[in-house]
Amino acid sequence: MPRALRNSSMTTAFSPSDWPAPAARSRPSYLSIVTTNPPSGAMPSGDELSAWLHAVAAHQDRQAFAAVFKHFAPRVKAYLMRLGSSEALAEELMQETMVSVWRKAALYDAGHAGVSTWIFTIARNLRVDQLRRKGQMLTVDGDDCDADTLEDSAPQPDEQLSIHEREARLRDALRKLSQEQAHILRLSFFEEHPHARIAQELGIPLGTVKSRVRLAIQHLRRLLGALEP
Amino acid sequence: MIRHHPEDALMLAYAAGQLPAGPAIVVASHIERCPHCCQRLQAFEAWGGALLETAEPAVLQPEALARTLAAIEAQDASPRPPRVASPARAPRPALPPGVRWPQALRGCTVAPWRWVGPGMHWSRVTVPHAPDSNLFLLRMAAGKKLPVHSHSDLEMTQVLYGSFHDGRQHYGAGDFDGADDTVHHQPVVSGDGVCICLASVQGSLLPAGRIARVIGRLVGL
Repeated sequence: MPRALRNSSMTTAFSPSDWPAPAARSRPSYLSIVTTNPPSGAMPSGDELSAWLHAVAAHQDRQAFAAVFKHFAPRVKAYLMRLGSSEALAEELMQETMVSVWRKAALYDAGHAGVSTWIFTIARNLRVDQLRRKGQMLTVDGDDCDADTLEDSAPQPDEQLSIHEREARLRDALRKLSQEQAHILRLSFFEEHPHARIAQELGIPLGTVKSRVRLAIQHLRRLLGALEP
Repeated sequence: MIRHHPEDALMLAYAAGQLPAGPAIVVASHIERCPHCCQRLQAFEAWGGALLETAEPAVLQPEALARTLAAIEAQDASPRPPRVASPARAPRPALPPGVRWPQALRGCTVAPWRWVGPGMHWSRVTVPHAPDSNLFLLRMAAGKKLPVHSHSDLEMTQVLYGSFHDGRQHYGAGDFDGADDTVHHQPVVSGDGVCICLASVQGSLLPAGRIARVIGRLVGL
């Protein structure tokens, strides 16, 4: 059994007691999606997360699933709400996301992406599907990259670094980013209208947002060194 | 050799699921044949994952886990719906031998080539879930000049076949020509063959972009 499961009672309703309380109901202000780490020990490591997914895939391990759920479900819901879903819809899409995590656990490739990245793409795609059904004009497909046809020609600058090492370096780099730039990146992913929101919060003209986004990307990339996209 | 790629802010918006259908399809058609951008996409998705991991959690409904497990069980218990064979794809206009349709266009309807001027053909691409997208193919004969234009970030082009030269740079098959806010140029189709591009223009008011002008003037969009 994964280490973190032994001492935790797997309840189904998660009290927020071991997390910082969510921001007030009003529109959260600057830096509302905090990057501060939760209390020590609460954040599962990348290895733990992949081990849990593996347990779900190999023997439908419900406790392992519950551990993944406990960490990600509240964050997936928060992500969807930030992107404009109502509370009820966000809960529904969160559930759909976690059902997909259960269903697709066997397809998770720990050599390809971290668990958080994998779950992010599932939630993102489900949100986009939902917008499609509503007739809104977003599209993204999860399988843009056909590894079989692209692998040979793709440069592999960091083959030696495991996904977990890369994730750790990414977290580290995100922490080193200035608050403003980290916020710009967060809004880019977690806002329904990111550019308008960035302009509003930073008090800059809409026309200059894109260059600010570019600068934030470039800065993070520099911090990542050889790991740049 | 692919030389021109979607710029960072655009790739990030794509990875975040924030692009409208038309631009997203043009970007996807580039990524699917560009190993470099495939890696960039994965890297940006990892940024999304890292931000998700550290996002402030929302409070779930009571029994959220129990209800999720119940949904899984309910799916397991109910017989799988028979796989519906995907409807036969409507015929698409001809492409030169060896040119494959971008996967990004699956599900889209591609109209027959329509003559819009000497050496120029146009084909509207209809996205089922976003029928208002101004997405289309352009087929231009060798030596054809497009009107002088300035770029807007609402316009993007992926070269599927052939090449053109804009006076500064050469764009070949696989290259992406996108937002570069202030450039004025006049692309000329190069080589001795045709050039086929997938392009997207945003909005109902057409900006003074290259493709927009051509289409706007010749087709009366």
